[in-house]
Amino acid sequence: MHGKHLISVALLWAGLTAIGELLVFADLFPPVGSHEAEDFDSIFRFLLILGIPVFTFVIAVVTYAALTWRVRGDQPDEDGPPIRGRGWVPRIWLAITGALAVFVMIHPGLTGLAKLQSSYTAYGWGPEEADLEIDVTAFMWQWTFTYPDGTEISVTKGKEVVIPVNKHVRFNVNSVDVVHSLWIPAFRMKIDAIPGRTTYMTVYPTELGAYNDDQAYRVQCAELCGLDHSKMWLPVRVVTESEFEAWLASLKSEGK
Amino acid sequence: MYAVKSVFGALGLGLIGFYLGLGIVAFLRWLFGYSDPWGGEINIIGGWVLGLFMWLMGIGMWGQWGREWFGLKTYTRQLPGWQRYFTFNTDHKVIGIQYLVTFMVVFFLAGALAMLMRLELAQSGNQFLSNAQYNGTMGLHGILMVAVAVAAVIGGIGNYAVPLMIGAQDMAFPRLNALTFWLVPPVAVGLLATPFLGGIEHGWTAYPPLAIYTNSAQVLFSLSIITFGLTSILGALNFIVTIIYMRAPGLTWGRLPIFVWSMFATSWIALLYTQGFAAALFLVLLDRLGFSFFNTAGGGDPLLYQHVFWFYSHPAVYIMVLPGFGLALELIAHFSRKPLFAYRYAVAAFLGILGLSGVVWAHHMFTSGMPNYLHGPFLVATELISIPTGLIFLSALGTIWLGRLWLKPPMLFALAVIFNFACGGVTGIFLADVPTDIHLQDTYFVVAHFHYTIVGGEIFALFAAIYYYFPKMTGRMYSERLAKLHFWWMFIGFNATFFLMHLPGIKGMNRRIADFPSELDPVNLAISLAGFFLGASFLVFIWNMVYSWVRGPVAEANPWQARTLEWQTSSPPPHENFPVPPVVSGGPYDYGVPGSKHATFPVPSAGFAGAPAGGGGQ
Ligand code: HEM
Ligand SMILES: [Cu+2]
Ligand SMILES: [Cu+2]
Repeated sequence: MHGKHLISVALLWAGLTAIGELLVFADLFPPVGSHEAEDFDSIFRFLLILGIPVFTFVIAVVTYAALTWRVRGDQPDEDGPPIRGRGWVPRIWLAITGALAVFVMIHPGLTGLAKLQSSYTAYGWGPEEADLEIDVTAFMWQWTFTYPDGTEISVTKGKEVVIPVNKHVRFNVNSVDVVHSLWIPAFRMKIDAIPGRTTYMTVYPTELGAYNDDQAYRVQCAELCGLDHSKMWLPVRVVTESEFEAWLASLKSEGK
Repeated sequence: MYAVKSVFGALGLGLIGFYLGLGIVAFLRWLFGYSDPWGGEINIIGGWVLGLFMWLMGIGMWGQWGREWFGLKTYTRQLPGWQRYFTFNTDHKVIGIQYLVTFMVVFFLAGALAMLMRLELAQSGNQFLSNAQYNGTMGLHGILMVAVAVAAVIGGIGNYAVPLMIGAQDMAFPRLNALTFWLVPPVAVGLLATPFLGGIEHGWTAYPPLAIYTNSAQVLFSLSIITFGLTSILGALNFIVTIIYMRAPGLTWGRLPIFVWSMFATSWIALLYTQGFAAALFLVLLDRLGFSFFNTAGGGDPLLYQHVFWFYSHPAVYIMVLPGFGLALELIAHFSRKPLFAYRYAVAAFLGILGLSGVVWAHHMFTSGMPNYLHGPFLVATELISIPTGLIFLSALGTIWLGRLWLKPPMLFALAVIFNFACGGVTGIFLADVPTDIHLQDTYFVVAHFHYTIVGGEIFALFAAIYYYFPKMTGRMYSERLAKLHFWWMFIGFNATFFLMHLPGIKGMNRRIADFPSELDPVNLAISLAGFFLGASFLVFIWNMVYSWVRGPVAEANPWQARTLEWQTSSPPPHENFPVPPVVSGGPYDYGVPGSKHATFPVPSAGFAGAPAGGGGQ
């Protein structure tokens, strides 16, 4: 008595899954600005590929059951078969769901984590050694970016964070008042700015890009920090190394 | 009108108490030589404590409880009709309805605030709300909805249904139960008063140091939530004792309806963890008075708060959703006319979630800058929770398989819970895996995820339960056509609104903002329109409920032909629930088993004097 229904549900499931998996090709993401963004996008797609069949399985069974076995009259004329689910079905279910959970836990969970963390005791993402280190200070409701040569970028000066392409750029993040969070959507990276502790994140930009071309090129505060939280952002521009040097020099000559 | 007088009298007493408290603190401050005796937030704390106490005394605690302390005789006033609902009534059925109606009102207020937010967010830039107003609206919407989600099902449906389902006459501690409910109105008043002190600036999570620097609305927020925590804890205690000791004879643990099991697990979570939130907010209050638990300037640690806070607030999401699961499974079994599939596994799932809920909190802090070694263990523990959650799905899907699906409104909502939570569960994996969470944390992806789980999982279950128990509670039937209209309208509106919300999140729209990048204008407009569509669906519900309660046709005692005990008594049930206490002899879901019986109502023989065990009450 199961056979026919099992086949129908399997077909429905396969159909829904085929449609659902189209989401993988959809233009879901902001532009890929860095290595980290590439990794994020591929992990996200991977989880989507795995997650969609889980979702469609539930939808397929619920839809099929509701359409096939619904009571058509005023009242149910009889009860269903007293199946209790004590045998092998729950065990197989446990085995499959357990295996799936452990699988995504290990990959991309722990493997991805290992790639992102360089040491167990650090407070942040990515390698600790970098080609360029920028100190970031968050305050209500803006940022100050301090370059190694002492150049400072903030709302009052420059108003644009410029970094070189194809370099490891490390942001050392601090806050003077409340918790903020440094987020650059084009890089898919984020770390909170906490008073009294320095956190960091290292990114490796791989593409040139600027806020004017895509708004994902911005540093955005991502932790509610009071009144002007939504205005706490600055544009980001990724440039070639020579342009970067020139930019630094030009700010210098303007007299900082 | 005794009831009206008593409510206004108690309100008056509460106000007097509030000002008296303010004054006493002011007097003490004056004694100790402060220059501004009236100006401290500590005045508000004093006022709150005394006001709360006098309000409770006024509303009936004195007559039913306080007099005992002085050796006087307590009294209860049995008022007829609707007046019951405005007094310190100890009947769990009255209290359940009090909870339900109160939190439906709060739900619609908070929903109106959501409409305001979506109006502002229909377009980038600030239209008509300033940043401060937006933040206040958002914080109030959030905390009111959290309160609804924590208490509407437990306090409303739980109080109403659990004693009936286990064949008891009342909860184990009826007076405590009444106290638990009457603590709620001050919480609502306190939260709704926050806009007058400048509005909640820190969202419902109240992270310090921000929560230490904000305006004094924070103090009202903290006091209200600490009080609310108290109701949660006391309610949980009552449920645990009731479920352990008040079951009808023969109602073994293996025959307990699954909703009762879910309430049992939930109550343990509430009892064990709610103190965390209360303690954290209490420490914030102290910080505002000059201590430095979380204030870096004085040597405190802001991350400490986040740990303590999420130590409660992650379990809290299970406080919200487990009763929703329980209701969904319960209704799915009755309306599929089949035994609950894999009953033991479902029970194990509830207990498993209870066990795991306390060790996953830091998955809310993956980007918080906590030390790196914490990420792995919390990732692992979080993924493990999907295994017991999967068993809930197994139970639901196995039950509808080959069933006789009676698609009445409660069943439609119950099936929608399964549908919606499948989506919320899958997006949860993206947030549990650190590599994806780094980008998605604090974006609209999270907003979509938690609305799918809380609204999709719990609020849908709440509506299922309301449509299920409405005839039991009121003795009247609602319009089924309007109920189905409401269902489809809400289901489509909900999925449109919150499915779309994932997209701006991935694209780079962070949450808790009054303004967003202009690139995201089209999708936000679509979300807002879908949101208004969703909001409008509730008008159908309100009309249907109000009209049917007054004018609806008289309902049968058991319109769903369900087997559990609450349906084996009249609708609405008599004060003592069962004229003859039941004796349970079989499982609650043995549909399709010839000759099976869940319970019988033996008429006591003339010589039989003792009350059956588990009846009780006092
Ligand atoms: C009528 C449908 C609803 C709409 C359109 C809606 C919309 C929103 C919006 C726009 C936000 C702000 C998101 C942010 O910036 O973080 C929000 C936050 C929130 N909502 Fe809703 N919501 C609805 C119903 C609900 C319900 C029923 C609940 C719970 C039972 C709920 C719980 C919350 C919570 C807890 C927050 C977080 C507030 C905070 O971050 O402090 N919402 N909602
Ligand atoms: Cu911020
Ligand atoms: Cu959590």
